[in-house]
Amino acid sequence: MIFVYGFGECEKMAMHERKVIELDQGWDFMQKGITKLKNLLEVKPGETQFSSEDYMMLYTTIYNMCTQKPPHDYSQQLYEKYREAFVEYIDDMVLPALREKHHEYMLKELQKRWQNHKVMVRWLSRFFYYLDRYFIARRSLPGLNEVGLTCFRDRVYQEMKSMVKDAVLSLIDQEREGEQIDRALLKNILDIFVEIGLGSMECYENDFEEYLLKETAAYYSRKASIWILEDSCPDYMLKAEECLKREKDRVGHYLHSSSENKLLEKVQHELLSVYANQLLEKEHSGCHVLLRDDKTEDLSRMFRLFSKINRGLDPVSQMFKEHVTSEGMALVKQAEDAASNKKEEKRDIMGVQEQVFVRKIIELHDKYLNYVVECFQNHTLFHKALKEAFEVFCNKGVAGSSSAELLATFCDNILKKGGSEKLSDEAIEETLEKVVKLLAYISDKDLFAEFYRKKLARRLLFDKSANDDHERSILTKLKQQCGGQFTSKMEGMVTDLTLARENQTQFEEYLTSNSQANPGIDLTVTVLTTGFWPSYKSFDLNLPSEMVKCVEVFKEFYQTKTKHRKLTWIYSLGTCNINGKFDSKTIEMIVTTYQAAALLLFNASERLSYAEVMTQLNLTDDDVIRLLHSLSCAKYKILVKEPNTKTISPNDVFTFNNKFTDRMRRIKIPLPPVDEKKKVVEDVDKDRRYAIDASIVRIMKSRKVLGHQQLVMECVEQLGRMFKPDFKAIKKRIEDLITRDYLERDKENPNLYRYLA
Amino acid sequence: MMSKLGRGQKDKVQQFMAITGASEKVALQALKGSEWHLEGAFDIFYSQPQIRAFTDTRHLEELFKRYKDPDVDMVFVEGISLLCNDLQVDPQDIVMLVLSWHMKAATMCEFSRQEFIGGLQSLGVDSIPKLREKLPSLRNELRDEHKFHEIYNFAFSWAREKGQKSLALDTALGMWRLLFSEKHWPLVEHWCQFLQVRHNKAISRDTWSQLLEFVKNIDPQLSNYDEEGAWPYLIDEFVEYLTENGIVPTRK
Repeated sequence: MIFVYGFGECEKMAMHERKVIELDQGWDFMQKGITKLKNLLEVKPGETQFSSEDYMMLYTTIYNMCTQKPPHDYSQQLYEKYREAFVEYIDDMVLPALREKHHEYMLKELQKRWQNHKVMVRWLSRFFYYLDRYFIARRSLPGLNEVGLTCFRDRVYQEMKSMVKDAVLSLIDQEREGEQIDRALLKNILDIFVEIGLGSMECYENDFEEYLLKETAAYYSRKASIWILEDSCPDYMLKAEECLKREKDRVGHYLHSSSENKLLEKVQHELLSVYANQLLEKEHSGCHVLLRDDKTEDLSRMFRLFSKINRGLDPVSQMFKEHVTSEGMALVKQAEDAASNKKEEKRDIMGVQEQVFVRKIIELHDKYLNYVVECFQNHTLFHKALKEAFEVFCNKGVAGSSSAELLATFCDNILKKGGSEKLSDEAIEETLEKVVKLLAYISDKDLFAEFYRKKLARRLLFDKSANDDHERSILTKLKQQCGGQFTSKMEGMVTDLTLARENQTQFEEYLTSNSQANPGIDLTVTVLTTGFWPSYKSFDLNLPSEMVKCVEVFKEFYQTKTKHRKLTWIYSLGTCNINGKFDSKTIEMIVTTYQAAALLLFNASERLSYAEVMTQLNLTDDDVIRLLHSLSCAKYKILVKEPNTKTISPNDVFTFNNKFTDRMRRIKIPLPPVDEKKKVVEDVDKDRRYAIDASIVRIMKSRKVLGHQQLVMECVEQLGRMFKPDFKAIKKRIEDLITRDYLERDKENPNLYRYLA
Repeated sequence: MMSKLGRGQKDKVQQFMAITGASEKVALQALKGSEWHLEGAFDIFYSQPQIRAFTDTRHLEELFKRYKDPDVDMVFVEGISLLCNDLQVDPQDIVMLVLSWHMKAATMCEFSRQEFIGGLQSLGVDSIPKLREKLPSLRNELRDEHKFHEIYNFAFSWAREKGQKSLALDTALGMWRLLFSEKHWPLVEHWCQFLQVRHNKAISRDTWSQLLEFVKNIDPQLSNYDEEGAWPYLIDEFVEYLTENGIVPTRK
């Protein structure tokens, strides 16, 4: 307000005739004001504050001297004298005061002097304000404020900056060593470096920051070289983290914010990058040891620290991968050892050991996934490391069983009756979820699917499935992970069974309404869709006449439902409940259709030789041996074998064992399943050949001409979701396709294939 | 004969005969075949040796009659034995393969009339002595890289059983031994042994033709063999076999 008012006054005065003020005269007056200002700044006793009148007079004098007609316009001279006033003050008062002080005292003096200087600039520039408005503006000269500050920079700052920098750095060094320092002082001093740049950071950066960074690097380099020898990895990391925190605080307290990244980078470089390997590989406390001892807190710290340096996490994730791999391999070895300790003859049957193995793998996965999430903040590098580690040992297999088979069996054990009744629904769901997760690491997903289908078929057909919801739930999970194609057959199987139940109800209704058709035997038929189910041998077993009638009745019924479907009977999957009239009592026997057919032969004959059984049943040697063994050499000896040995031979003769009895009224006579492993593997192998052929043809059809390596790569990529095709297998398929004239080699370049449409 | 020709045509015949030293008949044949362009006629003359030498068709017919099966218009094993006898060469001699190649024979141990007569015509011979004289030059053709390549690939179809896509292993081994004794491939015996031990199945045309590429391009120490390349898997396995058995130094 006072400015505007004063200005108005001056304009008014200028309108009247005015006495010319000579330069010397005017400047004398100004000089008085300046001296008063200096005295105030130097806190001379007795000096009074400027009154608004004083100020008005000074301003008006300048105004008048600048608005006089030439040659009495003293603007130029006053502009110079304005600068000289500062120079004089600095040379007389400021520099001598600074020069006699040192270190922190010098800094304090400088702090004061800078404050004073700014006050002086403020006041003087007010007195000379009129210059700013017209003279300076018109000639584009540096403004009053700038002139004032430049004086300080050129005379004081230039002389003192190096000493100031040294003093500041020495204080910082003291603080790093744990002493208390005057942070406010440092803040003010460093502000000078910023302000003196008049908008540019050059002074701060070149005169201070550069040295700070050098000094910091040297400081931490010294520290690190000692710590790395003396401290354990966790201790070192604690110190490093603390140092980084303190440096960050330092920036907050007195450094310019632009220094933060540069400073921290220096510290990280000296403390972490330089010693990364040495630190991570410390023999008794390095990364491996921390992983081994589950030091999650230290590992989290390690992640935090090393995530800040360029490629710093690479070695950590590598070690993580190595650790998880070796843990997994140890489990594989453990399971191998357990398996080889088992009795020779039981080796083929999947046992508890393998079940335990899968459980342990799941636990291992839980544990380290948790590490990835908690310690390693879900970083992709660590997810990748975990994946790669699991891919190594999840594809190893144990004791002749591939991991695909192990997983399928594991699922079977959970899903079948008596497998996991003790578990809650939630626990089962959770376990299934985890198995499916593991499946992601298995490269032979097609092999898993095939084994899974075999086991699912057994569960569904022999009513061994514990819970329909769980069956459907795991299929949903598999579908999510592996795609619809993967589960379509399995889903078809489950649906088939539901349809089969409806079908059975209809069949029973049919029998009730057509009582003449009723064969007098309870018959349950499960109608399945060929493509969904694993392939089964359908041999022409000579059914007993009673059963033939059943088949006929069902065929008739089915004809009424549909005309266009062909029924293929798979007797090998059938079961029968038959009554054995033994001397002591009648016992109900639950047997397979094969076994039943064999037993029923003895209704007609007292005594049958091996050859007779075989011709009457029309079965292969393998099957006949298996089922006769189950009836005469196993737990329940329904047939008496001559001679009485433990194995079946083609010269044996059998008779019905009238004397047989058991304390139960109902017994189940198991027929050990044939080992299907080989067939599953063969089936999968065949499917793979088709899959590779199809993939190659698909690729070549769209590309027409393609180099060998590229074709192999694209093929692997296309098929990778289901299995990892062997390069050799791909090559064989390519050669086969060449032979079949789908492809040819380029005449000039045998590495190039052409598609033959 | 010349009288039917125009003046320009006569000139060309004269010119052609003067330059090539060929008979009038040959000159006419070549010029007619190129629609009376001299340049084209020279091409024909020099690229088709059969027209250079005059062969007497009657002689060829008689020769064919001597060797052919009494019932069928074909030369069979007996005929070929007789031919070899007349030529005083072993039926197993590789020169017989070269001869068959010239005859464009479809199948081993068989010549049709067309193959027999056409082949001899193209060689410019119409008698046994002439053919026998020709044998050393036929043998020499194997030294020519390009011709060897053709003869090698010809041998596959020629030696293959009728109606089969692949070549029976035993036949293949015999052919390889024959061909590579000429070409001096030091690994041929290892290759044959490897196939008998590890493969024991028929050989596809691709494997057959790629083996020659392998022999031509890969040195016997296998230092320039690339396992990532498109070599047939049998060749890859052969390389493994060689390394496993210490026949070649282990690769890095």
